Amino acid sequence: MSGPRYNRTRRQDQRLVAFECQSCDYVSFPDEKRTCKRCGDAPATFEEVQLAERGEIQTFVVQEYLPDDIEVPQPLAIVDLPQADGSGESARVYGLLTETELEELSVGTEVVARFRELFDDGERPINSFKFSVPREVKR
Amino acid sequence: MTDAHVVGSGIVDFGEKYEWSFDDLLEGAYLDLVESVDHGINPTADIDAIWYGTLDIANEGSSGAAVAHATGLFEKPATQIVNACATGSDAFRNAVQAVKAGDIEVALVIGAEKMLDSTEGLIGGAALERLWRGRGVTMPAFFGMRATRHMEQYDTTREQIAEVSVKNHENGTKYPHAHQQFECSVDDVMESATVSYPLNLYDCCPVTDGACAVLVTNDERSREFTDAPVRVAGYGFSTDSFMRGDDLALTNFPASRQASSMAYERSGYGPDDVDVAEVHDCFSITELITYEDLGFCEQGEAGAFIDEGIPHLDGEKPVNPSGGLLSKGHPIGATGVAQIAEIFEQLRGDAGDVQVPDAEVGLQHNIGIGRNATGAVSCVNVLER
Repeated sequence: MSGPRYNRTRRQDQRLVAFECQSCDYVSFPDEKRTCKRCGDAPATFEEVQLAERGEIQTFVVQEYLPDDIEVPQPLAIVDLPQADGSGESARVYGLLTETELEELSVGTEVVARFRELFDDGERPINSFKFSVPREVKR
Repeated sequence: MTDAHVVGSGIVDFGEKYEWSFDDLLEGAYLDLVESVDHGINPTADIDAIWYGTLDIANEGSSGAAVAHATGLFEKPATQIVNACATGSDAFRNAVQAVKAGDIEVALVIGAEKMLDSTEGLIGGAALERLWRGRGVTMPAFFGMRATRHMEQYDTTREQIAEVSVKNHENGTKYPHAHQQFECSVDDVMESATVSYPLNLYDCCPVTDGACAVLVTNDERSREFTDAPVRVAGYGFSTDSFMRGDDLALTNFPASRQASSMAYERSGYGPDDVDVAEVHDCFSITELITYEDLGFCEQGEAGAFIDEGIPHLDGEKPVNPSGGLLSKGHPIGATGVAQIAEIFEQLRGDAGDVQVPDAEVGLQHNIGIGRNATGAVSCVNVLER
């Protein structure tokens, strides 16, 4: 894990800032590049959009075998996060989950992005968001 | 333009080959190939060029010169191909294109991988070094996410997914070069350790060393080497990304659909014409989804397809008679080449205990992950006798 790689998308990661392609409406997160990864527009015009903190699980796994640095079981989901103002498409986001039981997870479960320490880089913590199942949704 | 034909193949038994060096693997597959050619070959005189598939996980140095050294085939163009888990297939495709173009008459395609020298590195890299997007996503997680969604969207059962592993392990016991030679039941799969829910240990291919080689040549030279060449009828290769915001991509591999469409179009054959297939089953769910991507059944019907026994060795459309990656193993650079070698044997009637009767058209399919995108590359080749 490297510092520069993390820092490249730090603002997006921490503020849930995404980028909407003005040609095809694809919402890219966390990348802001000069070409569109869906329609191939080159050069593409992107506009910054704010993602909502609350989204819906599209699919998930619970990882049991990981390097020693990562706690297991480690649930992981693909979540569609809508735009904060309710317009346009959602962004499709990979995210680890905070402590979550398998029974609490299903396709369609509502989750909320929480700012957390993801990993320890040896000397410094790497912070970004994790998803958690909100209390009112927990069964 | 000439056609390209496969006229020989060689393989070393896949498995834990810790005592074998990279050169040993390459030498083994190469010598087996040289000995396999029906009418004989003078390799230093006959072979014009070499395509070498390896991801070089063991960090042996990136160059086609590795094959030159291991085989003694010097003073020839030797190119290393790297294309994720489809590396071996892409090495083959590049050789086929050069032969068809008339630039090369006889090409050696060889793939090798020493997976066991650096397993930790592979998993660690996938999990840790992709914070920018992957956030701790390993290979079983990438494919497992498709399993979760396929079960949700199409009522595919966990048992149907496990059946793929049962079938392929049964085939593997009959295939002499397979890494894992044991049978297992649906219960065995379901009760094996959870790797990444919903996938268990027996849903995952083993970590395997291996090497494989095939010889590709043109119309004119093919009969010099054998009376029974196998023609490359069509090929397709495509790329994609999981991150394209495509809903469908949660349950299929768009690149496989594109690559197979290309291969079907070029060959003039469709999915119904395929008598035998070797497909990429790095995980049990991968093969299930691939039935749909290749058009063997409709989207969402893969569970029923295997329930009905269609892809079994004695079924209507046998898939992975060699035991697939699940039983045979997945030494990345060698995998696609070994699939071609198996189809070559099948179409010549040389496949021994896993022979599919009267196979005339065979399909090979190989996908790979690149940069955190499941199925980001896909290669499909259609061969005919």
